[in-house]
Parts: sequence; structure tokens; C-alpha cells
Amino acid sequence: MTRSRWFWLGLAVALATFSCAKRGDSGVDREVTTLGTIEVTAKLLEIPGPFPPNDLYNYAYVLKYKVLTVDRGKVEGDEILVAHYNPLKPRSAAQDEFSGKVGGHLDRFRAGDVHRMALEAPLDNFWMGGVVDKYFEQKGVRYWAVWTNPKTD
Amino acid sequence: MQLFRAVTFGLLSIGLALGATIPGDARVSRLSKEVQAKGWIVYSARTERGDWDLFLMRPDGSARRNISNTPASSELGGRFSPDGKKMLYRRIPSDSKINHDVWGALGELIVANADGSGATVYGKSGEFPWASWSPDGKQLACLTKTGIEICDFATKKVVRKLDRKGIYQQLFWSPDGQWLTGTANHFGESWTVVRMNATTGEVNALAKFQNCTPDWFPDSKRVIYSSRPANQDETDGANLARSVGQSPRYGWTQLWMADGDGSRRSLVYGEDGRHIYGGALSPDGRYAIFSRSPVDGGLGANDKGAPMALMRVEDAPTIGGESKALRKLFPHTKDGPVLPLPDGWEPHWTYAEAPAKK
Repeated sequence: MTRSRWFWLGLAVALATFSCAKRGDSGVDREVTTLGTIEVTAKLLEIPGPFPPNDLYNYAYVLKYKVLTVDRGKVEGDEILVAHYNPLKPRSAAQDEFSGKVGGHLDRFRAGDVHRMALEAPLDNFWMGGVVDKYFEQKGVRYWAVWTNPKTD
Repeated sequence: MQLFRAVTFGLLSIGLALGATIPGDARVSRLSKEVQAKGWIVYSARTERGDWDLFLMRPDGSARRNISNTPASSELGGRFSPDGKKMLYRRIPSDSKINHDVWGALGELIVANADGSGATVYGKSGEFPWASWSPDGKQLACLTKTGIEICDFATKKVVRKLDRKGIYQQLFWSPDGQWLTGTANHFGESWTVVRMNATTGEVNALAKFQNCTPDWFPDSKRVIYSSRPANQDETDGANLARSVGQSPRYGWTQLWMADGDGSRRSLVYGEDGRHIYGGALSPDGRYAIFSRSPVDGGLGANDKGAPMALMRVEDAPTIGGESKALRKLFPHTKDGPVLPLPDGWEPHWTYAEAPAKK
């Protein structure tokens, strides 16, 4: 086998490995399993409207999830409302001087995706700032997303 | 003589069109004389060194003096005690960024005499956030993440706690002690100015959608606040907005007032091309003072501070500048005189003479 064939074979293996890793991401990492007091795997049911601009002010935006598994702690019901800070940004870039600890590997929010999340509650105890809550007529706990990873397996 | 009349008429017309901010306007001079001896205004302003200090001035802008003079720190958010003998303010390291929205929770809480002397640290960094005096000056209402804490001023102990009901900034206690006002998330809408019953914790919305920086009228029945209404008209193809790096259709923040139950909402002052913030009233409620920032956020262009101004409340609504779009919306404005004042931020007014130089 020539050197160039070895190169292409190596590249193909690397790409396949990477691709499989992305496709099979369990969403588990040190942060999601240790931060917050609650950990869930949940499906994002919808995005109820456009995220507000973040050029001057940053908001928390409430999203509705269907809980698939409760991995740590307890939640109320099988559908939960979770506030994400500055959802226009990838989770790895969302944290700032006002947010407290927030992060994760999720790049963007898409309805139907499954997320592994470390949460806190109630929201008011963790975020004192603007909240966009399109579900305001629904009573119940608003959770604060501390760490959000995609789960793709 | 005809030429003189024409020139006079022309100048007067321009003066009116500019919201009477031309210094030569006789009405502005009269307003200036009227308020000159009516106590003192404390405000924060950027110094030549680049930090923010506290300043005192007479309401006409005279007798201005720096009362903190601290190159290593910035002082902000001065509030006189109800008797005008003391003041509260926040102190942060001078290299910290001041934030228009969270300033009340930044840095240490300082208590000083009304002339700035005797400054002592009352609360360490982050403690007693958004501290606001009770009417007798014996308690402070503070806005924390876990609720509104009423603290005894002498002992610093929390004597009572209320759910904050979505209020997240700019908490102020009414002069009669019965109410609190603040900016809140309310019924799904952020930036809602609310009124809270200080005994029961019950809350009502006073103004929904893009409102902030509320403060009380002395009668505790009305609130003055900033508001940026949606869908503002732009008659200049958004040139004014673009000139300050603002997105078209963003709109301009105006000064409004309303009754505590949210009724009788009305414009106090607006000016296309300016964001009006920091609305505060004289202790008799006859005059309003505010800042006019060309960029949103209240701290002025490049965070250097924005010119302040003063008007009679009886002249509301008054519109400044050409403001074609705003004038179309409010064709019957009074356009009273508006007294231009130095650059500053978050002014507060007392009629007491304690701040006078000893």
C-alpha cells in the first residue's frame, strides 16, 4: 500500500470514528453529572417563538421538555419548563458575569432534539433578570438549566 | 425692527422645535431661576480620569462639586435618605464595568452624610442589593434572588421577607411605605414595571413591555418610569438610529408616568434620537429630572455619561428635538422649557440643605 493510500485510509477511519462519536453522544460528562441538584434526559418539544435579540440585554428563555429519564434528583411531572440563559449562543459561550455557572456542549436549540441537562430550581433563586416565558399561564416550577449537552444515541 | 422681530420669531420657533433646550430661551432662564435654590441633586458622572464619582449640584446645575474623588473606585446610584441628612450609594473598583441594569447590586453599599463626608462601608460587595430607604429611614428594602428583605438599618438584621414575584431590578420603596415598585417578569413579559403591596406582597402590573427605571412620585400614588414602545415610526429612513449604531425599528426610550394601578399612563418627555432614563422627581413632585442618552443603556455614548435635563411636570407631555415621528403621535404637546444639565446618570433630589458645603 502506498503512503498516500495509508493516508486516505487513516483519514476515513478517523472520520468514521468522529462521525460515530457525534451520532452516539450520550450527553454524559463530568459537569452534567455533578452540577445542579437535578439531572434529566429530555426531549425539547417546541420553541414557542423567536429568541429575543441579545445585543444589549440577555434573557432567560423558557422551553418545554418531555422528560425521558430522571438521572438525578426529582422533577414534577413528565413535562417540564426549563429556562436557558441567552439561548442564541452555543452553551459553551453562554456564561457571562451575570449568569453564574452555565454551559454545555449544545450548539443550538432545535425542537425534537434530546438534551441531557443539569438543572436547578426554582428559577428565581438562580437568575435575577429578564425571563421570556411564553408558558406563563401554566403553573408549576421553572427549572434553570446549568449545563446542557446534546444526546444523540 | 421688522428684521429684529423676524429673527426673534425665528429663534423662538427653533427653540420650541428643540424642546426649548436653547440656553438663550427666556423660559429656560426662568425655570433655571425657579429651581436654583430648591435643594440639591446627587448623581454619578464620569471624571476626566475615567472613573465615576458622585457629584452634587443645585437643580440649575450650579455649585457642582465632586464629593467622592476616588481614583481607585467608582461611586454610583446615590440616594438621599428621606430626611435628606444621609445618602446611600454603591462603590466598585474603578476598573469594573458599570451596568445600567444591575448597578444596585454591584460592589459595596456605602452610607455617608448627605454632603459625602463620613462615608462608611455598610455592606460588603454584593450585600444589601438595591437597598432602598423606608420613609422613616429606619429600614432598608433589599432585592435579593431569594426575595425582598426588609432590614433594620441600625442592626442590619432581616426583619421581614417577601417573595420578589419576578422583580429583578430597580426596587424602590414608596414615600408612604405602603408600596414597592420595580422592574419585573410578569405574566410572561419581562421589563414590566410593577407595584407591590409592601405588606401583603400582592403585585399589579403598572406598565408592560419594555419599561424600567421606575421611581415614586412623592404622593406614592404615581410612578415615573422609562418606556420604549413597540413599532415606533421612523420618518428619516432610520438614519438617526444608524448614526448611533442602533438597529432600525429599535425605537427610542421615553419618560412616562402612570398611577400605581396602571391607569392614566401618559408621556412626560420624549425625544427621537435619545433614550430617556433615570427619571426622578423633586420632593414636591413638581419637577422631573432625567438623562438623555444617544445610545440605549443609559450610560451615554461609550459609557461616558449622558446629558441630564430638568422640566416642570405640569409641562408634560413635552417633546424635545425635531422628533417628527413622536410629534406625529403626540400632536398636542406642551413643549415646556427643558433646562439642560451636565452629563450624569441616576440623579436623585432632596430639598434638604444638608448637602451644602460646610
